[in-house]
Amino acid sequence: MQQQEIHNFLVEYFTANNCEILENNGSYLSVQLTIELDKELMNRPFYWHYLEKTGGVPNPMKLILITNQKNTPDHIKGEVIHFGSPRLHQIFRSTKNLAGYIRLYEDHHASMGQQVPLRPWLGMNVKISYQCDRKRDVFRSIGLQLINGHMVENFHDELLKLPLARKIPDYSFTLSPLIMPKSGVTRIQNMIRLNILEEDHTWATDARERWSKDLRLLEHFYEETEEKGESYENEKRALQEQYEPKVQISIINGGIFYLSEEAI
Amino acid sequence: MTVEIEFDTSWQEGLMEKITNDGPWGNYELYKLAVEVEKHTVIDEFEGLQAPKHLPNLTPLPHQLEVAKQVVENMNGKAILADEVGLGKTIEAGLILKEYMIRGLVKKVLILVPASLVTQWSMELTSKFYIPAVSQRKSYVWEQCDVVVSSIDTAKRDPHREIILNQDYDLIIIDEAHKLKNNKTKNYEFVQSLKKKFCLLLTATPIQNRIGEIFNLVSLLKPGHLGNESVFNEKYKKDSRDINDNEHLKELVNKVMIRNRRADTGIEWTKRKVETIPIELSKEEQDLYNSVTELRSEGDWTATSAFSVMTLQREACSSREAVFFTLKNMLERKDNPSKEYQDQITYLIEKVNAVHTNSKAVKALELIQNVNDKVIIFTEYRATQLYLQWFLKQNGISSVPFRGGFKRGKKDWMRQLFENNVQVLIATEAGGEGINLQFCNHIINFDLPWNPMRLEQRIGRIHRLGQEKDVMIYNFATKGTVEEHVLKLLHEKINLFEKVIGDLDDILTRLEFGSFEEHLSDIFGNSTSEGEMRIKMDNLASMIQFAEEVKEGDYRAATGNS
Repeated sequence: MQQQEIHNFLVEYFTANNCEILENNGSYLSVQLTIELDKELMNRPFYWHYLEKTGGVPNPMKLILITNQKNTPDHIKGEVIHFGSPRLHQIFRSTKNLAGYIRLYEDHHASMGQQVPLRPWLGMNVKISYQCDRKRDVFRSIGLQLINGHMVENFHDELLKLPLARKIPDYSFTLSPLIMPKSGVTRIQNMIRLNILEEDHTWATDARERWSKDLRLLEHFYEETEEKGESYENEKRALQEQYEPKVQISIINGGIFYLSEEAI
Repeated sequence: MTVEIEFDTSWQEGLMEKITNDGPWGNYELYKLAVEVEKHTVIDEFEGLQAPKHLPNLTPLPHQLEVAKQVVENMNGKAILADEVGLGKTIEAGLILKEYMIRGLVKKVLILVPASLVTQWSMELTSKFYIPAVSQRKSYVWEQCDVVVSSIDTAKRDPHREIILNQDYDLIIIDEAHKLKNNKTKNYEFVQSLKKKFCLLLTATPIQNRIGEIFNLVSLLKPGHLGNESVFNEKYKKDSRDINDNEHLKELVNKVMIRNRRADTGIEWTKRKVETIPIELSKEEQDLYNSVTELRSEGDWTATSAFSVMTLQREACSSREAVFFTLKNMLERKDNPSKEYQDQITYLIEKVNAVHTNSKAVKALELIQNVNDKVIIFTEYRATQLYLQWFLKQNGISSVPFRGGFKRGKKDWMRQLFENNVQVLIATEAGGEGINLQFCNHIINFDLPWNPMRLEQRIGRIHRLGQEKDVMIYNFATKGTVEEHVLKLLHEKINLFEKVIGDLDDILTRLEFGSFEEHLSDIFGNSTSEGEMRIKMDNLASMIQFAEEVKEGDYRAATGNS
């Protein structure tokens, strides 16, 4: 993400959270936070606790974020945001937090008088992290139709092509799922697990090899010591944490989508 | 091969809750943004760096990228970066820092650098890496800012010390880390007690192949990895200084240290042109030098300190002011000086007073006028520095001084004045480290340091990335003095100035040889005659030559050529 993309992302984030953008010149951004976002980002629980106890007038903060220091006048004091800055990471996390679960309906434009059935889908965006002393991630978006069990990849991209709404549109009704969402999640999990098991795991074998080589080196420095002591154990544990290969699957977000038969 | 698979189950529970309570459901715009973010932060290859993609204003050199990659992929963020001077260790450290920040592995960072470099570090991190690094000026900064740059001397002092030791740092970067090779120092003890996850030690002077130094630096990176210090020492002492003979140590050092040589980088460097300028001392100057040298043969003095004699000799090659300053100190510091002692000093002070010119300064002035460009003068002595400043001023040339003891703000200011306003910067030894002056390409070594490592540091101030012109080095050598001998040895016999010092390390190691400085101070401090000095020096030179031949032989054997 380059600085301009970061800037645009921030504008979208604050707009989506109903914050008023007070100033935006492309290099810095002045935002009036809402109460909700102040609580989410500013980390001042005592203030909010105190305010709620005393019934005072809430005064959420203004936030100034600078994405291009060169073009920002000196008198503007704000936080400099870069890819990798803790504030941006926090906002990334918050984006996920605030939109972890969603329910949407396809906003189809069926002709009057015709009732359109909408089928339930479970959609999950997941990140699969292959971790040893190095790391690799794979992003997958999977959709599961909760009536016939049909599964599709790149579900998110499919959704982007559709008009979606928070409320069920007129002349539509939803079909009840035959597969419960809970077992839907399990089905998707199992499928991912199966895929992973079928993959080539040379990376893990290699990591174990590097691990044992490092262990041998460590052993060597201790081989003449009788009492190996705590530092040895610490170092051994550090090596395990560094090298032990594992796959971690985390869910970015997902939800229930009601789509027409033609949609996917 | 089975691999452990961990599935995050908390999401599923959350979903059930939302379904049971019929919401609240998230906002679709944010939902899409979250996916966008994730696609941006996904690391799709085990290998390779993310940082360069996010740094449109920086084009790192191949060797810098390689270092960053090595440290992140193979060294787990614990490394000694030991590139030769001027190859851009700051850029390498910046890349690594940025990489870890992007991966979300590093947030709280402490950067300890020489005082003169604090501003430069924070400027580079801010402008090239978009990392808002803060120069420590107020004590609250430690807690409130995520990336702080400070000098180690400030950091280890109260009240900062306590606050810093309470922080949990994700990454610590230490510039000029060779100063930490001794674990008995306060600095070492301070750095050792910092809480840290990753650690980068930057040094242009590689670990000098001594077992103890390796133990200490590696112990900073990986406490406990080398086992117990006494056991370690006992075990490896017998291998003396040559770590290359021990496979395990070699493997270990390769695991934690990266060193690039200029020659390995494939970059076209501007040339170094070295010119020795012989200086004829005036009659009075020569007389002063001789009087100091004669002290050597008078029993009483040698017993007090060979070092003082040597010091005085070297000073006499620099300026009468330098000699005078030392003489004055010798008199003041001695408790109940004997009559002879006082007489001796008074006699020498008379010799000092007899000197009315400084032949080197005259030559320097001439050179500066001819060059008609920016010039840095290095001297070992403060008295000489002050004198030179005055002398140049008398002749219409303004200059600024530079010393290690200057406060950071003053150093920045002097550097700036030199860049924009004045022609000459006069630096003492301590000032040579940690200031980048690549806008200048002339150096005068007014007098010589006897440690070749320091010479390299001096030259490295201007012969570094960003230098566009050939670098001119003028070495002043007074005829018929120790200085001439040193220079002869360094320049002609070892070819030091064109070579880069790293090559010499290997040679020294091979000789199991002690430091260069020790040898020189033995030669010049303990020799009783000019003849003895010459023989010892020839001896030293041929040892080095021999070692070079051995090294080449090794190389041929290793590559299989006959």
